[in-house]
Amino acid sequence: MPVLVDVQDICKIYNPGENEVRALDHVSLSIDKGEFVAIIGQSGSGKSTLMNMLGCLDTPTSGKYYLNGVDVSHMTDDEQSDVRNREIGFIFQGFNLIQSLTAIENVELPLMYRGVAKKTRMELSKAALENVGLGHRMDHKPNELSGGQQQRVAIARAIAQAPPILLADEPTGNLDSGSSKEIINTIKKLHGEGRTVILITHDPGIAKQAKRIITISDGKIASDEINPDYIP
Amino acid sequence: MEYLKSALSSIKQNKGRSFLTMLGIIIGIASVIVILSIGNGMKSYVNSSLDDMTNGAVTIEINQKKTDRYLTPQNLTTIEEAISEIYGVSTSFSTYGEIHLKEDHIVNLLGGMPVMERELSDGIYKGHFYKKDDVDAARAVGIMDQSSAIMIFGTDDVIDKSVEISFGGRSIEITIIGVAKSDEEALANARKARQSGETAYYYHSIYVPYTLVTQKLGLNDERITSYKIYTHPGTADEAALRAKSVTENLLNLRGEGAVSIQSFASMAGMYNNILNVVTLVVALIAAISLVVGGIGVMNIMTVTVTERTREIGIRKSLGARTSYILLQFLTESAVITLIGGSIGMLMGFIFTKIAEQFMSFPPVISPMNVLLVVAISTADGLFFGIYPARRAAKLDPIEALRQE
Repeated sequence: MPVLVDVQDICKIYNPGENEVRALDHVSLSIDKGEFVAIIGQSGSGKSTLMNMLGCLDTPTSGKYYLNGVDVSHMTDDEQSDVRNREIGFIFQGFNLIQSLTAIENVELPLMYRGVAKKTRMELSKAALENVGLGHRMDHKPNELSGGQQQRVAIARAIAQAPPILLADEPTGNLDSGSSKEIINTIKKLHGEGRTVILITHDPGIAKQAKRIITISDGKIASDEINPDYIP
Repeated sequence: MEYLKSALSSIKQNKGRSFLTMLGIIIGIASVIVILSIGNGMKSYVNSSLDDMTNGAVTIEINQKKTDRYLTPQNLTTIEEAISEIYGVSTSFSTYGEIHLKEDHIVNLLGGMPVMERELSDGIYKGHFYKKDDVDAARAVGIMDQSSAIMIFGTDDVIDKSVEISFGGRSIEITIIGVAKSDEEALANARKARQSGETAYYYHSIYVPYTLVTQKLGLNDERITSYKIYTHPGTADEAALRAKSVTENLLNLRGEGAVSIQSFASMAGMYNNILNVVTLVVALIAAISLVVGGIGVMNIMTVTVTERTREIGIRKSLGARTSYILLQFLTESAVITLIGGSIGMLMGFIFTKIAEQFMSFPPVISPMNVLLVVAISTADGLFFGIYPARRAAKLDPIEALRQE
């Protein structure tokens, strides 16, 4: 399998000087296409910084990050926006839907930024919402949907334009256990369809759902192993 | 299109706030429209009154302080022939006299040529104007206004009536051969003045052949230092310049600046310039509210950006470029001011209509002004939207997403 994510010796340092904070300390890791990886760590471990880095929301202080073969470690804001739009589907803890837009309008957003025509946009968005089982709720506003449903809208938004990577940041953090299971199953199903999934969490129970578990602590990778308990 | 949709839905969501923000723009645009309309109305009123007053007559004057040369009646004929596109040329000797009847009346005896009939804005009511042979024979005939006839004689049925006019110690008897039409307002005034015996406050013009003044009365010799040309509509300036140049040639005064044009058109131009400046100044003062309104828009858009920081973060994480966010918020502020401007325009129309009831002249709303106002209000929004929109576009997506 080709390498999709190739992080080489990345450091992220806040407040350089005496009180500097090394959020990431010489981190290297590589993820192949089609993998299902969980990155687990306590709060303050640097996992959020790593997730921002992997999601091209942030740039490293030093080191290189090749995403899909392209060096994305030193890019302008607009270049980063384009990379995010093309390569990454985000699923956030707080769903991050725009409240004033309907479900389908939310799903359309990344397609709009890519310049996809309205008709194609509608078709792709509809297909994505149907894929996550929300074909009947397309014209509802987020506040008319349950937490689990909102997260599924967010997932539909992440997959609508078929990016190579799904980056899920605590996707079940705001959900009850029933909805959590539902979302994890949806993510597993998407992985089953061939998508690369990176799941960031602090919950070992959630991390156990992944094929490979990377533990991060104090800005360093503490362990990186194949999950023996993985159930496809 | 997407920008517009997003802007409209955001404005709709904050209806009350958006309207309050628009208020400054509404007031500004409404007052600018009202002021410009009144200014335009005043201008066209002044122009049409001056037009009525002159009927295309332009006076050419030879300044006696700069030269002692003058024209003869024969010269006038030459000038008339040299300028083809005019009705004619006339001398204009004017002399004051008095009529002593039941009451005393002051009259202005205007000595001219038959073409002077063009000065009668409403034409002849009864009888006729004097002819060329009246001028040649220096006949003692005259034409007066209907309103003057009513004030002097108590009736406008005065054809063939004789009246004695005295000048200092001498006097002359003139036969009225024509009555010029007066408008309703003047007639009503004349009747009222006649009834209450207050005619002394008026003076009356009587048109007579110039030869009567020069030859019979001997009040003026035939030295012509000023004359009038009667021009076709729209050609006054051109004809006046021709007349000036012909006069200068005849008197050999080229380049001396001794011959001048006293056209009412140039007077109207002067009035218009003054009115333009006044209108502009008042409109600029009104436009200050556009600046204030614009600052209001800037203020509320900054609040909107702060409120929607998370939304901006989401959009950016999904791949929205800086320019997209910038345009989204610029569109929103431009739409606010455009809607405000349109409402303001409507209010301006209404206020203009109301103002019309209280004014002696109708305000004129010109389409150019309306276009200008729409453009200004949109530009206002764009200009004052730049700061908040740039703030939004420059937000760091990580920071923005962290916002609750």
